[in-house]
Amino acid sequence: MAYLTVTDGVKQFTGFRALNGVSISVERGEFFTLLGPSGCGKTTLLRAIAGFNDLTSGSIMLDGQDLRAIPPHKRDIGMVFQDYAVFPHLSVFDNVAFGLKPRKVPAEQIKTRVAEALSAVHLQALAERLPAAMSGGQQQRIGLARAMVINPRLLLMDEPLSNLDAKLRIELREEIRDIQKRVDIATIYVTHDQEEALAISDRICVMSAGHIEQIGTPQEIYGNPQTLFVANFVGTLNTLADGEGRAKLLAELGISANAAHWTIRPERLSLLEAGQGAPSGAVALAGTISKFTYLGREAHVLVDTPAGALVVQVSNPALGAVRTPGEAVSVLVERSALMAFDADSKRLSLEG
Amino acid sequence: MSRKFDFWTLVMIGTWGILLLLLFIPVGSVLLSSFFDTSGNATIENYLRFFAEPRFQRAFINTLVVGFGGLAGALLLGSIMAFCISRFQIKGSRFVSLLAILALVSPPFIGAYSWIVLFGAGGVVRAWLRDFGIMMPPIYGVGGILVVFALKFYPFVYLMVSGALSNVNRSLEEAAEGLGLTPLQRTFKISFPMVFPALTAGGLLALIQSIADFGTPRLLGRGYNVLATEAYTLYSAEVGSNMSMATTISVVLIAVSLVFVLLQRFMSRRNVYHGNMINKPTKIKLKGWRNVLAHFAVYFIGLCGAMPVIISVIYSLRRTNGPVFQDGFALQSYERILFNLGDVVRNSLTFSASAVVMIVIVGTIVGVLVARRTTLNTSLLDGAFMIPYVMPGIVIGIAYIAAFNTGPLVLTGTASIIVLSIFIRRLPYTVRTTSSALRQISPSLEEAAISLGYSPFQAFLRITVPLIVPGIIAGGMLSFVTAINELSSSLVLYVGSTITMPVRIYLLILDGDFGTAAAMSTILLVLSGIAVYIAFRLMGRNEQALL
Ligand SMILES: Nc1ncnc2c1ncn2[C@@H]1O[C@H](COP(=O)(O)OP(=O)(O)OP(=O)(O)O)[C@@H](O)[C@H]1O
Ligand SMILES: [Mg+2]
Repeated sequence: MAYLTVTDGVKQFTGFRALNGVSISVERGEFFTLLGPSGCGKTTLLRAIAGFNDLTSGSIMLDGQDLRAIPPHKRDIGMVFQDYAVFPHLSVFDNVAFGLKPRKVPAEQIKTRVAEALSAVHLQALAERLPAAMSGGQQQRIGLARAMVINPRLLLMDEPLSNLDAKLRIELREEIRDIQKRVDIATIYVTHDQEEALAISDRICVMSAGHIEQIGTPQEIYGNPQTLFVANFVGTLNTLADGEGRAKLLAELGISANAAHWTIRPERLSLLEAGQGAPSGAVALAGTISKFTYLGREAHVLVDTPAGALVVQVSNPALGAVRTPGEAVSVLVERSALMAFDADSKRLSLEG
Repeated sequence: MSRKFDFWTLVMIGTWGILLLLLFIPVGSVLLSSFFDTSGNATIENYLRFFAEPRFQRAFINTLVVGFGGLAGALLLGSIMAFCISRFQIKGSRFVSLLAILALVSPPFIGAYSWIVLFGAGGVVRAWLRDFGIMMPPIYGVGGILVVFALKFYPFVYLMVSGALSNVNRSLEEAAEGLGLTPLQRTFKISFPMVFPALTAGGLLALIQSIADFGTPRLLGRGYNVLATEAYTLYSAEVGSNMSMATTISVVLIAVSLVFVLLQRFMSRRNVYHGNMINKPTKIKLKGWRNVLAHFAVYFIGLCGAMPVIISVIYSLRRTNGPVFQDGFALQSYERILFNLGDVVRNSLTFSASAVVMIVIVGTIVGVLVARRTTLNTSLLDGAFMIPYVMPGIVIGIAYIAAFNTGPLVLTGTASIIVLSIFIRRLPYTVRTTSSALRQISPSLEEAAISLGYSPFQAFLRITVPLIVPGIIAGGMLSFVTAINELSSSLVLYVGSTITMPVRIYLLILDGDFGTAAAMSTILLVLSGIAVYIAFRLMGRNEQALL
């Protein structure tokens, strides 16, 4: 049985159901991420596990123990907060040592354990300072050290990096990932940043409007999304416009599935010169360029085709590769790149 | 869990009990007794009489005149000062702010008295001007009252507006500039709406205080009577004390204050601007005559406002012979206080200290309740705490006499009645400051402590309490300043053995013993100054907290 399981979690606020039958299971030492748009219930689920607001119904088991029967301060769960929640009246050292006191850790041991935790987050030099004037990154490092030093059974992080600037976010998420692997604590991490989720998770749980859309490894979530929502939320997506153009394209590719939505990722498309032929298993779709957006490491080319406007992603665009609107081109569509979803937005298999 | 529930339920019941006993019953008896005549028959005769008798009509109109006059003066002086200090580089601007604080913490009737010293019948400045052949009318009457109110209450407007002005995002003004608005248009279209809520809030304080003030019209009015003085006259008349008419006037006074509070809420309801500090306004360095003018305006207002303090200190040190001033300086006035009036100082200190201790304890607990348990009940409680805010001191005094003179709880003539009257008037401020301080502390701090293994109560004790204590002590110090300067309710409630410093100063001024009055005022100011100093040390120099 898994280390942590939430089964049929329901949270009903007055007049609003924030969690609607959520079940997850997290393994020992796993880095598990809850990903979803704002308001989908990520925080609600996390706080139910931490014990700050109890579920309306459902069960939460940690290592064979019913968590819902234990008050929050006895759950032994470390937590890292979005607003850092660093105690402003205590020094960095005392902040980190705070959780060791109720655990009756002897004084010398507190010293060594706090020192270890601080050096893990590169803060040993600031131990005696007050946190008030420190940068967001430093404060969040304190939060991280404080949650880890108690060797909790579970580590919960609610958008710990969302108040930091982009560069620091990337730097710190690598650190979090490394530290988590080193101390080997099962971690549930909340974010609405898909790139962050893909970068650090062992598994990702994509949520929407109080329910779970898909749970899987980053590769599965990105490469094999099971619902239209997941495909749309993680990465970008072209949707083929319903009509004759689409029907013709599908016929040429030899696909006959009865799907409601046909989609394709921009990086799976490529540009051909107008009139150039396609290899087998693919179709060259004639069109004209309507927009060119240069983004440095890649460029997005918007092409009007009979199957609708498609964004084509060009990697490492050469200096002279600027495309002018109005230019005639072809878009190469490979059969394997198409993803089909039924009327309920569920993924359809295209095998055979 | 259930024990905690019990504790807060107890607090809730206790709070309603306190409000019932100290607020609703006394104020209710005022309301009621205004509907009875002197022999105890139910009647609306009092109200008919109030609106029929020219004497009361005049007092009613006079109250509105001094209220709006004080408001206008305070708005004018306060906005000029706020604008100059927050937008121009003024040398010694911290000193000017200090002058404003001095004006704020000195009791208003000291102001009245000082202006009499300068511009009264035998006023120093008038006598000096007369030597040049300039005849100036003495300051008595409505003009004098308005001058004193403007100079006494402008700090309310100044502190509120300067806080708001320095939070207006400069980008907004720059944007307006880019759109081609002239500086004047900019001020009226951009800056003015931004500071409007602060302006009305500061103005409201000035208005309510002007309406409620008793000492100034009493000393300076010379026949210019307002509701507060009429209520006192009716209450204290040796022969034919008319309690039911006094309570009728009190009810009218409460109603007038209430109308203005509601009006201010209504006016500033839409204007909630959260200043974000991205682009703080810079202070312009003025040149030439503009610079001189700005400095002159700021220092003139500041020094005039602090004049009562300066006069009191100087006159307290003058040599006296009985009540008559002589040439030269001496410490006689202080000696007189030391040998004869020590118990008055002691009364003031013990009453204020006891009231403040009660205020801090009860106010903090109730503030926690209001901030942490948002239920219908706590919202009601929050609303009920608005009531003392619109209560003029004289009304609380009369209400307490009406309620605690007979019946199950007789407190008339005791120290408790004075302490309790101060307690109930200042309690709302502590409740407010505590609950707003608590709301500013992120709940995730306590949650962090809980996740680290502390019980909710311990988390509150170890994290939240240390964070709010400096603010609470500072608030207590500021309550002490109001408590020790309180005149109007104590004047109604005191007896010989419970006389306080403001009451004694008031009586000394009436007796013409200006030297002793000045010395006692100076002691009062020093005590207030110490309290303000401690408060500022604890929470940083936060002048807005004085409001
Ligand atoms: N105490 C509450 N009472 C009523 N509704 C609530 C309460 N707390 C949260 N909600 C609602 O529950 C929904 C889920 O909230 P939650 O905070 O879990 O979202 P989230 O996924 O963490 O979003 P975000 O990314 O913005 O943090 C939201 O629609 C929110 O408005
Ligand atoms: Mg959230």
